[in-house]
Amino acid sequence: MNGPVTHDATTLPSNDNVNPYAFSVDLKGQWFLQKGKMIAYYGRIDFHGIGHGPLDRLISGSFHSPLHAADWVVAEGQGKMLLADRSFDVNSYDLEDGNLTVRSGNLLAFEPSLSLKQSIIPGFLTLIGTGKFVAASNGPVVFVEPPIRVDPQALVGWADCPSPCHHYDHQYLRGVMGGVRRLTGLGGASGEEHQFEFVGAGTVLLQSTEQLMAEIATGEGPPQEAGVPQGSAGNQPMTPRLSGQLGDLQRRFGL
Amino acid sequence: MPFRLLNSRMVEAQVVPGQRLFSQRGAMLAYKGDVSFTPSITGGQGGVMGMIGRRIANEATPLMTVEGSGTVMFGHGGHHVHVIELSGDTLYVEADRLLAFDGTLQQGTMFMGSQGGVMGMVRGQVTGQGLFTTTLKGHGAVAVMAHGGFIELPITPQRPVTVDPQAYVAHRGDVRNKLTAAIGWREVVGRGSGEAFRLELSGTGTVYVQASEEKL
Repeated sequence: MNGPVTHDATTLPSNDNVNPYAFSVDLKGQWFLQKGKMIAYYGRIDFHGIGHGPLDRLISGSFHSPLHAADWVVAEGQGKMLLADRSFDVNSYDLEDGNLTVRSGNLLAFEPSLSLKQSIIPGFLTLIGTGKFVAASNGPVVFVEPPIRVDPQALVGWADCPSPCHHYDHQYLRGVMGGVRRLTGLGGASGEEHQFEFVGAGTVLLQSTEQLMAEIATGEGPPQEAGVPQGSAGNQPMTPRLSGQLGDLQRRFGL
Repeated sequence: MPFRLLNSRMVEAQVVPGQRLFSQRGAMLAYKGDVSFTPSITGGQGGVMGMIGRRIANEATPLMTVEGSGTVMFGHGGHHVHVIELSGDTLYVEADRLLAFDGTLQQGTMFMGSQGGVMGMVRGQVTGQGLFTTTLKGHGAVAVMAHGGFIELPITPQRPVTVDPQAYVAHRGDVRNKLTAAIGWREVVGRGSGEAFRLELSGTGTVYVQASEEKL
């Protein structure tokens, strides 16, 4: 077994992973990062909170939600910066004149050449443009192509494809036995009644577990206007409770 | 071979019409094609008697039946996954470690006391298996979960294997196991090595160990 590898400023990888859980950014200029995700740096780097200071002009070009900007900091200067998040798997992705929508809690950092916008799907952020960004996931990320249906909790993001729609499987609640199940709650739910369905061309990013990473706020919701979908408050379970389901007690009894 | 590992924590299964899989409820991450997930009331095979047996034995993990045609990806709780191919032999594993398995495998429940009497029951308590464990027998594949990576240790008559009961995951083949306890005055005064219990496996087969002493 080899022990821990010792790095210095020159041997640290440039814009690449140090190990599955840490990413090294070769900083020349500016990067945006989520608050608290920098673990170490070499060189001369200043960290500015957004919203106060000389950078406000820059911010307006990259952040399209003024109130959301409070969760981000600007790293400015020269050097190498290590990013990590609670030992989750970290990966960098390159966008070339593309778009990618990612769960808000998973995005760690991005280059200012990308612009960050709130997705119309609550809890998600969209990156548009050309550049590199770093995202974390609970377990390695798997890339799949549509058409596919995914567990809502396993979804990390998607690129270049139309936004997903909801898909419900209640097949087993039909018919006579299904009726009995629906009325009595006997048999329980499979936990897979609700998925996100992706169609069209693009790529879907999945994490290897259905355990979500903690969500971060995507900033103030969109203005209350007619025709603008409003986000749901907080981390509410997405699956509607089926009729006849006895709640969590039922699962405990294994019914 | 219906299971394919995508990475250390995720497995992909092919579902073909007429062949079903069992999987832990809620462990599906994504699927392609026309696949249905039905909660299995009886929690596996063997009909109502099998269900009652599992309920009494506390080996009734909520399972669902996966049928149709397509590919399904499974993963659960960020645990490491390992695919074990069975060809006629028996796998002894705790029901809650089962991520998914072929519907062709015969599922059973075994009383720990039937292997070594009272010491078998004590062993069940120490390994966290309880008084009963699940057996899977036949030809097919099983996806098993563990906290931390999997280590596969072959057991031969010349080379018995000793494992930490807390790191024990599953075993297969014709294996006898014996729990040895080395409790002396150090353990009594709380200055023990923490390795007082050891599980010794002998015979021919394989034991699977996880790289952690944490339970699932």
